[in-house]
Amino acid sequence: MTHFARFACALAALVLISPAFADTRHDEAAKVLDTRYKLVLELVRHTPTYTPPVASRALAYLGVASYEAVASGSEHMQTLAGQLNAFTTPPQREAGAYDDAVILEATLAAMTHDFFGNTGPTGQHAMESMDAKLGVDAANGLPDDVVARSVDYGEALAAHIFDWSKGDGGAVIDNMGFPRSYSVGKDPGRWLPTSKIVQQQAPLLPDWGKNRPFAMPTGATCALPPPPDYSEDKASDFYKAADEVYQTSFKLTDDQKSVARFWSDDAMLTFTPPGHWISILNEIANVKAMPLDQHVDALARLGTAMADAFIGCWRDKYEFDVIRPISYIKKVIDPKWEPLLNTPPFPEYPSGHSDQSAAAATVLTQLFGDDFAFDDQTPTPDGTPQRSFKSFWAAADEAAMSRLYGGIHFRPAIENGQAQGRCIAAFTTALITLK
Amino acid sequence: MKLILAALLALPGFAHAQDLIIPQFTEEVASGITSVYQGDWEFMVGGGVAAFDCSGDGKPDLFFSGGTALSTLYRNDSPTGGALKFTAVTSGAEMDRVTGAYPLDVDSDGITDLIILRSGENVVMKGEGQCKFHGANEDWRFKGGDAWSTAFAATWEKGQTWPTLAIGNYIDRTQDAFPWGSCTANWLHRPATGANGFAEPLPMKPSFCALSMLFTDWNRSGTPSLRVSNDREYYKGGSEQLWHVEPGAEPVLYGAKDGWKPLKIWGMGIASSDINGDGLPDYFLTSMADSKLQTLADGAAKPTFKDIAFSLNAIAQRPYTGGDIHPSTGWHAQFEDVNNDGRADLFVAKGNVSEMPDFAMKDPNNLMLQGADGRFVEVGDKAGVASMKTARGAAVIDLNGDGQLDLVVVNRHDRAQIWRNSSTKFGHWLQVALHQSGSNRDAIGAWIEVKHGDATETREITSGGGHAGGQLGWWHFGLGADDTAQIRVIWPDGTKGDWAHVKADAFYNISPGVGPTGP
Repeated sequence: MTHFARFACALAALVLISPAFADTRHDEAAKVLDTRYKLVLELVRHTPTYTPPVASRALAYLGVASYEAVASGSEHMQTLAGQLNAFTTPPQREAGAYDDAVILEATLAAMTHDFFGNTGPTGQHAMESMDAKLGVDAANGLPDDVVARSVDYGEALAAHIFDWSKGDGGAVIDNMGFPRSYSVGKDPGRWLPTSKIVQQQAPLLPDWGKNRPFAMPTGATCALPPPPDYSEDKASDFYKAADEVYQTSFKLTDDQKSVARFWSDDAMLTFTPPGHWISILNEIANVKAMPLDQHVDALARLGTAMADAFIGCWRDKYEFDVIRPISYIKKVIDPKWEPLLNTPPFPEYPSGHSDQSAAAATVLTQLFGDDFAFDDQTPTPDGTPQRSFKSFWAAADEAAMSRLYGGIHFRPAIENGQAQGRCIAAFTTALITLK
Repeated sequence: MKLILAALLALPGFAHAQDLIIPQFTEEVASGITSVYQGDWEFMVGGGVAAFDCSGDGKPDLFFSGGTALSTLYRNDSPTGGALKFTAVTSGAEMDRVTGAYPLDVDSDGITDLIILRSGENVVMKGEGQCKFHGANEDWRFKGGDAWSTAFAATWEKGQTWPTLAIGNYIDRTQDAFPWGSCTANWLHRPATGANGFAEPLPMKPSFCALSMLFTDWNRSGTPSLRVSNDREYYKGGSEQLWHVEPGAEPVLYGAKDGWKPLKIWGMGIASSDINGDGLPDYFLTSMADSKLQTLADGAAKPTFKDIAFSLNAIAQRPYTGGDIHPSTGWHAQFEDVNNDGRADLFVAKGNVSEMPDFAMKDPNNLMLQGADGRFVEVGDKAGVASMKTARGAAVIDLNGDGQLDLVVVNRHDRAQIWRNSSTKFGHWLQVALHQSGSNRDAIGAWIEVKHGDATETREITSGGGHAGGQLGWWHFGLGADDTAQIRVIWPDGTKGDWAHVKADAFYNISPGVGPTGP
């Protein structure tokens, strides 16, 4: 039985006990959730500090906030306080009527401003515009006292979660995440800058792996074994891994090129990898008319699992500090070689997309089942055709291999990255959300 | 362990500052110019200035966009070689919601007209002489539309007596909650068939929120293409664009099969110049953090450009003075020889979009001098133009007729600034104005070639580019130590003029078969 099947059973039991539980405001709350997340994903794309790790962090807190906003008024949902690291009991609803749509809107509006306060003028303009429109829509037809009580509660909940977030080590992003001073390793096989952008002569967020995780104990909980020893010897495992990337680049099929581009998820040009998976979930929620309680449960689990995956992954990236294929291949194999994708500005091992996609697949498979087929239209507005998948693992496997097709990762980073993502997500799937 | 700082200091170009003549600029705070580019979201971009002579005295007058304030025309009353003096005059072109302006003799009557870009209806103003204008949208059947217009370029297509105007449009202003992906169509205003004026504008699709456009003959084919620099902040699936614009045919985008490589930047301004002496224009594209300097990778055979900004130290990536290390935001860019040493230098106007904390708030304008090795050296602070105000449009132009290029910069929420080039040590120069009879009086699309010493400078005469503003009139060439030069013009129809010997430090008018003659 999937997690959501158990959810449905619990809900059915409660409905028998309390028919009034059927919330006529469900559609309005679902609209708030969907619209707010659409804005958030655009803000992820258009806010300069929102590289993938930073995006995963914000999406995790937003997921928890969405979950607690709904759980606080539910008889069958259990708070995540005490289950997530350092997350203390959030404010409780007091006597009187509340409205979930208004609470969600107030919570997410405040959280959006909190996490995207550094966005540009258009993002600010959009947030203000949405505050005005969604706030009015959510409150339409409700008694004033219910609206006021719900807004107050939503804002208090957001403040509690935002305060919690401040102590995790990832709250302040200076210089877009690129350290102002950094010593690049001089030993062979260490990461080297791969772009000609001055800011990116230092790697992204070298201390991100020290951040407080959400569900797993520490960033080192699922630490990986080292990658193959660096070598330029043609008989070495390292050379063979590089040669696989090199040779593959000349034999890519059109579909493999499409796969690479579909999952490229570049910062500032897309929703980023964690945003991509949130988009997948929200597409499914729309298509399946997913109940609100299940939707927020999924947002919280997916968000925290991917955020933890980035923390674990980043810890190991800087533990091993491995050279990117473009640097190695140009030095050792072919100085004129160019990969299909832009190489991200940080060490190679393990692969972040493989890692967090495995975490996402682990969570979503727990929620929806092993053979849940879906269509993914996330990059279609950018002209990339949709892809269809037989399961979440089919998508995660494809996302992982896309990094080899794109020429930005060696196979060990992909395979071990997936293993790490599975390990990390197990802490999220163990969270208890049903009373 | 190798320090990043050491790597940065080792960037090419740092060793050459002592070899260059650094011009000196003096800000003229009492010039009489008080224009401020004002307004909130709809005016976060734009803020152009048009520089052209409307009074007939040979010195460029200045038309400033004002955003929510009225646009203003300032008559140039500067004495030759003296302090810069301007007087605001009533021109008939005062209007609000103006984002930019470009001068062009649209109807080829010998009097410069003005194309005014707006957040609202664009307006073509017919010049009457003596800095007076009247609206000509109706007379010329110019459909000004209702968009957020932010870019402009003009050309005369072969066989046409009226220009083709390209107007770049930005975000759909009604999509304020989800503006991303709402780029509105750019327009191509081609001449009406068999009559004066313009046909219905042709939507150019896809359009990706243009902030600069330039008709430029990138491969010297004789038919200019349209480069469009787009703001990646708002488009989805977009990139920089190059349109093949064949007379009488629908424009067609160059694509991968032609050798055009997708490039996604926060494109804000285009400057062009042949900086490597191969006779082909090179392009500087302003952006946020990562400006580009593009040159053809494989010659004129295909439009494959490579970025040489890093190798030539023309990155202008972040402030070089003032202590703010966040990435820069570039707007207007212009190649001109500001120290008259015979090499094109590069000015870039800088300024935060609007309180974006991850980009420099104290973002000085750049003035990069090109050295003999082709590399650029930043001297904005040493030259006196490192303003920390929030710049947008600009013009590098000789405002007082002394042969040294001056500078005017439009600032958002602050007064425009104007600097006189007060250098006492500089090279020789000459300035050239082109005149044709019939249509296209100012010879847009011509090429001027100047030989001096061992050097040959090549300049394409264009209308467009920069950021939201352009100029028309004298085209400046620095000659270094050479006190004579040869000039040749290749006219828009391809006719090559004869080489003519001229003395330096003078202004020359050239017409097909006539000239050069003094002003």
